[in-house]
Amino acid sequence: MNRSAIDLWVGIFVAVGFGAILFMALKVGNLLTLDRAAGYRIEANFDNIGGLKLRAPVKAAGVVIGRVEAVRLNPKTYEALVTLRVDNQYAFSKDTIASINTSGLLGEVYVALDAGGDPVMLKDGERITKTQSAVVIEKLISQFLFDKAAEGGGGNKK
Amino acid sequence: MSSDALAGVTHFLRRLGGAVTGSISRLGFASRFMLAIVWHSPQALRRFQLTIREVYFAGVLSLVIILMSGLFVGMVLSLQGYETLKRYGADEQLGILVALSLVRELGPVMAGLLFASRAGSAITAEIGLMKTTEQLAAMEMMAVDPLARVIAPRFWGGVISMPLLAALFSAFGIFGGYLVGVRLIGIDDGAFWGQMKAGVDVWPDVTNGIIKSLVFGVAVSLIAVFEGYDAKPTAEGVSTATTRTVVISSLVILALDFVMTVFMFRGGGQ
Amino acid sequence: MPAAFPAESHHALTDTCHLDPDAAAIELVDVSFAYDRRPVLRGITMTVPRGKIVAIMGGSGCGKTTILRLIGGQLKPNAGKVLAAGQSVPDLDADGLYALRRRFGMLFQFGALFTDMTVFENIAFPMREHTDLSEELIRDLVLMKLHAVGLRGAAQLMPAELSGGMARRVALARAIALDPMLVMYDEPFAGLDPISLGVVGQLIRKLNDALGTTSIVVTHDVYESLKIVDYLYFVSEGRIVAEGTPDKVRASTDRFVRQFVDGESDGPVPFHYPAPDYRKDLFADVQ
Repeated sequence: MNRSAIDLWVGIFVAVGFGAILFMALKVGNLLTLDRAAGYRIEANFDNIGGLKLRAPVKAAGVVIGRVEAVRLNPKTYEALVTLRVDNQYAFSKDTIASINTSGLLGEVYVALDAGGDPVMLKDGERITKTQSAVVIEKLISQFLFDKAAEGGGGNKK
Repeated sequence: MSSDALAGVTHFLRRLGGAVTGSISRLGFASRFMLAIVWHSPQALRRFQLTIREVYFAGVLSLVIILMSGLFVGMVLSLQGYETLKRYGADEQLGILVALSLVRELGPVMAGLLFASRAGSAITAEIGLMKTTEQLAAMEMMAVDPLARVIAPRFWGGVISMPLLAALFSAFGIFGGYLVGVRLIGIDDGAFWGQMKAGVDVWPDVTNGIIKSLVFGVAVSLIAVFEGYDAKPTAEGVSTATTRTVVISSLVILALDFVMTVFMFRGGGQ
Repeated sequence: MPAAFPAESHHALTDTCHLDPDAAAIELVDVSFAYDRRPVLRGITMTVPRGKIVAIMGGSGCGKTTILRLIGGQLKPNAGKVLAAGQSVPDLDADGLYALRRRFGMLFQFGALFTDMTVFENIAFPMREHTDLSEELIRDLVLMKLHAVGLRGAAQLMPAELSGGMARRVALARAIALDPMLVMYDEPFAGLDPISLGVVGQLIRKLNDALGTTSIVVTHDVYESLKIVDYLYFVSEGRIVAEGTPDKVRASTDRFVRQFVDGESDGPVPFHYPAPDYRKDLFADVQ
């Protein structure tokens, strides 16, 4: 095999190989998480985050606009401190509501942001004041049973 | 214990100890060898034509087996995955299943194993044969360092080829999965690609896959050139060395894969 | 054939390698060497004068190739001195060894040609690695060397396509590619047909005289050696047991030399490998 043929084949090989890498980067994966630094941080406190995990999506109107960056426990108030990183191009008002939802019944847990009407926007490092904790199924069921028992008991007492 | 049994046990222990110290000193020699390769690499990279030639022999000539295997693995993944996903009504997740399996694990690992058996063994055999026919000694006597001229280009040829081969394996696997999932089984085209795109992140999935394939490339290339260089200069010695390359490379790939996966994909927890 | 690189004008000679133009080409003084615990050479003393061909003869495995390795700096002696033109070889640093080896040429047993290159590229290899000559000049030089060994027409063949004798000659051409000061031949006659034997022998003599180099031939082919060399050393069990010019050797009465030259099966080198008494061994199981 002479030199130029080898060079040609190696060139093709490297080009196709890089093409495959690009294919995976662009068509297979999503690039959102590549610009992790290109977002600003918002804090939010929750009573219970349920199954929320690191890197869970942050959605507004169902559109992914950020990721959960950190989760810690406040040792004094025993609330969960969640740090969200939101894409720079989206601004949210100061009275935005952050709630923890589940997509579908068994789907992944994510943070939903509902923007409010406040003209002042949240800036990097600021905190969302209105939050809604995750719905924990066990509590729901025990609540339901408790209500049912109270209803039946009350009825019986009459 | 009778003296015969005692002698037998002592003999066994001595052999075991000898084997262990032998392996450890071999490991030490291999590390020095790797440092020597890196030290001599600038020379090899200056004569870039040599390295390109090795990229051809290690990478281009492995293309057929890599692409075919990738295609078939992707197709089988799709087929098997569909059956299980359907049971949970999650058959639209097939795209994510195929893509993540390939990009994170199967691509780098299987490409690494195939590379070790095809290219790794060829490199070992070539170097071992050069040693047996005194070509390496001849080079030394002609004041040309075989490490720089023969060993280093083959090492870098392997390191450059591996990530490209792993990416091609994954890409062809995804394509195979698409062929089976969308064309054969009939899953929605949009759902297949859309769910995949949503579920596969460039960081960490794709980049970690690339990092893995790079690490595997270094490991396999190093083992291949070392075994060839260290082979006994007989036909039997070369054959033993070739087998060792494949076996040791495979074990090292799987072990490294486990270690790296633990570090990379622990993101499930908090 | 004119020498393209006159010995004294190599630009490679730097401070690291001081060669003495008046000293003998190679000198070994009381050299001892052992592989791990096994002694291979015990107190070898030999001199190779400039411009001469010296043969080192002996049975297989007696350390002949080890001597070549010591001269080339691939091995370091346990004791004694190895001098190349007055320069101690084991004491050279990497650069010095490099400079020294560029003045040496070596013909390995069976040629050791690079199998992935053509004959032309094999001979051009040392030129391309060590000189900045243009490709035209290299081409001319390679063809000259090939012509000297009679294989100019085989320039584009691959080593696999060559017969044993041809491969040996190509390796010879490669060994003299840079007009070395010393050429070492490791078993150059091994496995050759009678015609090739004659050809190789003649080439060794002619090239040595034409280039003004010194040659060391390690071999056990007595007949060919006696025809072409200037001096012989006989090595047995790590020691020099006899030495002399071809005439002296032919007339020698030394028992080892006679056994070697006449090819006798038994003599100072015994026929039987050490074994217990024959009768005892045969009747060992009979009570």
